Amino acid sequence: MSGTVWHRPASLADALALKAELGDDALAIAGGTYLGVLLSTGLIDPPEALIALGGIAELRGLEVDGDVLRIGALETHRAVERSVAVRQGGFEALADTFALVANVRIRSVATVGGVLADADYASDPPAMLCALGAVVVLASSRGERRLSIEQLILGHYETAIEHDELLVRVEIPRPERAAYLKFRSRGSEDRPCVGVAVVRRAGLRVVIGAASDRPQVFPELCALADGRELTPELCDEIAGGYAERLEALDDLRGSAGYRRRVTRTLVRRGLEAIA
Amino acid sequence: MNERVTGAIRYSQDVERPNMLHAKIVRSLAAHAQITRIELPGGIPEGCVLITAADVADCRPYGCLVPDTPVLAETARYVGDPIAAVAAPDPRLAERLARAVAVEWSDLPAATDLEAALAADAPVVHDVCEVASRRGAWSGMRPIDGTNVSHRSRLIHGRGEAGFDEADVVVEGEWTTASAQHAPMEPHACLAEWAGGRLTVWTGTQTPFNLRRELATAFGLAEADVRVIAPPMGGSFGAKTFTRIEAIAAALARAAQRPVKLVLARDELFLTLNRHPTRSRVRLGATRDGRFVARRVWSWWDTGAYADTGPNVAAKGAWAAVGPYRFDHVEIDADCVYTNRPSNGAFRGYAATQAAWASEQCVDMLAERLAIDPLELRLQNVLRDGDRFATGELMHDFHVAECLEAVAREIEWDRSRAGVGLCALMKGMQTPSRAGARIELADGRLTVHAATAEIGQGPTTVLPKLAAEALGADPRLVTLAEIDTDVTPFDTRTTSSRSTHMMAGALGEAAEALRRALADELEAAPGDLRFTADGGIEIVGTPASRRPLASLPALSGEGEHVIEGGLDPDSGQGIASAHWHQGAGAVRVAVDRETGVVEIVGLAAAVYAGRVVDASRAALQNDGSVVMGIGSALYESIEFSDGQVTNANMGDYQVPAFRDVPAFAATLHELPGAEIHGLGETALPLVPAATGNALRALGLAQSHLPIHPERVLDALDRSGA
Repeated sequence: MSGTVWHRPASLADALALKAELGDDALAIAGGTYLGVLLSTGLIDPPEALIALGGIAELRGLEVDGDVLRIGALETHRAVERSVAVRQGGFEALADTFALVANVRIRSVATVGGVLADADYASDPPAMLCALGAVVVLASSRGERRLSIEQLILGHYETAIEHDELLVRVEIPRPERAAYLKFRSRGSEDRPCVGVAVVRRAGLRVVIGAASDRPQVFPELCALADGRELTPELCDEIAGGYAERLEALDDLRGSAGYRRRVTRTLVRRGLEAIA
Repeated sequence: MNERVTGAIRYSQDVERPNMLHAKIVRSLAAHAQITRIELPGGIPEGCVLITAADVADCRPYGCLVPDTPVLAETARYVGDPIAAVAAPDPRLAERLARAVAVEWSDLPAATDLEAALAADAPVVHDVCEVASRRGAWSGMRPIDGTNVSHRSRLIHGRGEAGFDEADVVVEGEWTTASAQHAPMEPHACLAEWAGGRLTVWTGTQTPFNLRRELATAFGLAEADVRVIAPPMGGSFGAKTFTRIEAIAAALARAAQRPVKLVLARDELFLTLNRHPTRSRVRLGATRDGRFVARRVWSWWDTGAYADTGPNVAAKGAWAAVGPYRFDHVEIDADCVYTNRPSNGAFRGYAATQAAWASEQCVDMLAERLAIDPLELRLQNVLRDGDRFATGELMHDFHVAECLEAVAREIEWDRSRAGVGLCALMKGMQTPSRAGARIELADGRLTVHAATAEIGQGPTTVLPKLAAEALGADPRLVTLAEIDTDVTPFDTRTTSSRSTHMMAGALGEAAEALRRALADELEAAPGDLRFTADGGIEIVGTPASRRPLASLPALSGEGEHVIEGGLDPDSGQGIASAHWHQGAGAVRVAVDRETGVVEIVGLAAAVYAGRVVDASRAALQNDGSVVMGIGSALYESIEFSDGQVTNANMGDYQVPAFRDVPAFAATLHELPGAEIHGLGETALPLVPAATGNALRALGLAQSHLPIHPERVLDALDRSGA
């Protein structure tokens, strides 16, 4: 019946030591927009301990290094949205994606690490990061490992992050062209009903978010664009294939059938936007 | 208003008392169940209390119309029904204790929506005749034995349904609406304290005197032994009406013998009071040239597990379904139906939102059938001064036609009707109704005591202004006192846009009484007194008689404004409303034909206001009403799964945000010298119905509110577009 213990480690090493010691009994907390809702609505019981990451300088940073953008896990959505380095470094579509999340109050506290570690299906950034081929760096006192978004997000609220690990940063290679289309079926601050991220580098990568438990990509359909121009016919063909193969769920934002229908429209619109 | 922005305002959750405890409600996880055991494993920590139905066995059920609500339920009737409560010195401890309480129950069959509750073999939520026969129940209750219908409201005008034989054309449709949350920024909060056998409750409430009576009923007290102090609220929209959480706080305070504060969390608001989901079947008959002949309506109002004000909502929904039109024949049945859901009750737009959604779309069905312009059809049939409404009352000061013409101009009806819909509406105020007010003079200051609750609509400005006008004094000398039922004169309640209208009458009388008292003091005729700009009073023409107000002894004047009326519950005949809230709306939509997303690209709302007391606050209220209407039209829907609310948070339940609000024209039609007309909720119901008609004009008619793009896309499929 005693309350939750708050830890405020000042360094990553201290945080990882705490994670190693406490494991699942301690939850990491940054912006609190996810854990706060879970706790206040009683969806989870208060944990024995919370590890507040706010004081860890190593988890911050937004920098473009050559062709790679590195974002510290603690950077907020708002910081990415407003970053000159991100916008002028060829990652404008990513900044725009973060700018579409909820409202400015949420974006000012919700973190990049948080939205990935939550693995909430109804989110915008994971699909875009997945389309961009982002790599997530996980750290523990045992060392570091690097995962793709597909490897990180396993299902509803389920990730590959081990009990002693923390997500410390994301590394994103620069795209040639990229666009993110957020489809909301209700208000302007709603979570996505469907999110479509399209990225062109050497090849095409189209990722659908918010339609099921994790971002979905169909490489064979993307490969149709290899070496070809994105004609309206090709856009239609890829869009139709995505709608057909999409795994979709029903929720108050739309039924599975509806999600497939709007996916077709959005993939086509997204491809046209980068054609 | 400024104090709301700076944070200086003190809400009921800011009230503190020495040694107070903090409470948390333990709620049923079952939709309908007999609770068999409640205990706190490891026992109750010292200084804390846990109460269950057994601890309030001496309390009587309460309710504003039907005494069907226990302080704590032994038979839980919805997921979220309070079955126990804890209090602890620290709010977090109270929360942890509430979470740790172990509950055992045996499930009963549940009727978790209207359809289930109306089925032939439906589980019965309450014995409707038994609860309606309890002492204190509204005598107009017409329960249907053996069913979940707690009240059937009837309205018969002319030959009723038989009158359709005079119609050349008949159209009919069925419409439904979802449950919605008031979503005030401030949650429910109250503090209860017992002393010397008296109960004092500080709570944000629109209905302090109803609350006093219900608490007296529940705890077996004389009304004089209950004191309700009502600090300002951070929004309510109907949510904080009648008894919500106050009886639980009072029961905890009684058990703990200490003051207890109870503040709800956001998700608990969805379990406390919502808007009635409805189903309506509407039939409209007319002559070939478009004259309305007959209207028949059946409607069902899901009132949830406890009736609250549901029978009254259904009664208002009955005549609201007629609309602001002349009819030869009308027959309406409006059933208030118990379900195993959280209670539904008062909500801004009170029954008019659901009624207009159905009835106004039926008008456009007829327009389409007869190929008559929907504006012309409305203007042809709309009530005008001197006409009789279906309730038999004579219309006066009636301006719906002008409102219609105004919105048609604003939306450029003559230029293009593509995707444009209209709605015309009349709404009533609580009738009969009584408002008392007292103006006190002491220490050179004038204080108004009146029980109009400050919800953000501005009585702290408007009532002193009305008092000052009536007295002929500077409004800066006048302030409004906090509501305290020990001190404040009786007022029916702050609902149904009645307060400014009613209080103008009461304050006028109070001002006259105070002037008489002043005249006695100054030995002059009341008509000869004049308040001076520098805070004095003098006899007109005799400047030497001037005396500073501060030099006068304490004086006061009291006034009351009473409105008689009401409807016969079996025929719906009588006086539905002493004055009418009137308006018209026009909405222009654009539809994304690939996704079904509806965008409101033009919106005009015209509301008749009569005499306006405070132009800026009146306009702001009207604007807020429009914005809330956009939410009702497009987003707001409480979702349930087996009786459990599944979107009890502001992320999954959507209210309009700034970017959802288009530029719109909300106008108040003033008529200087006319009566003061209620205007706080007329615009809300206009928006959904006008949006529905806008989609109908595109061939994309919608039957369910709120409008979801998925169903618009389905309509697009059907239309073959």
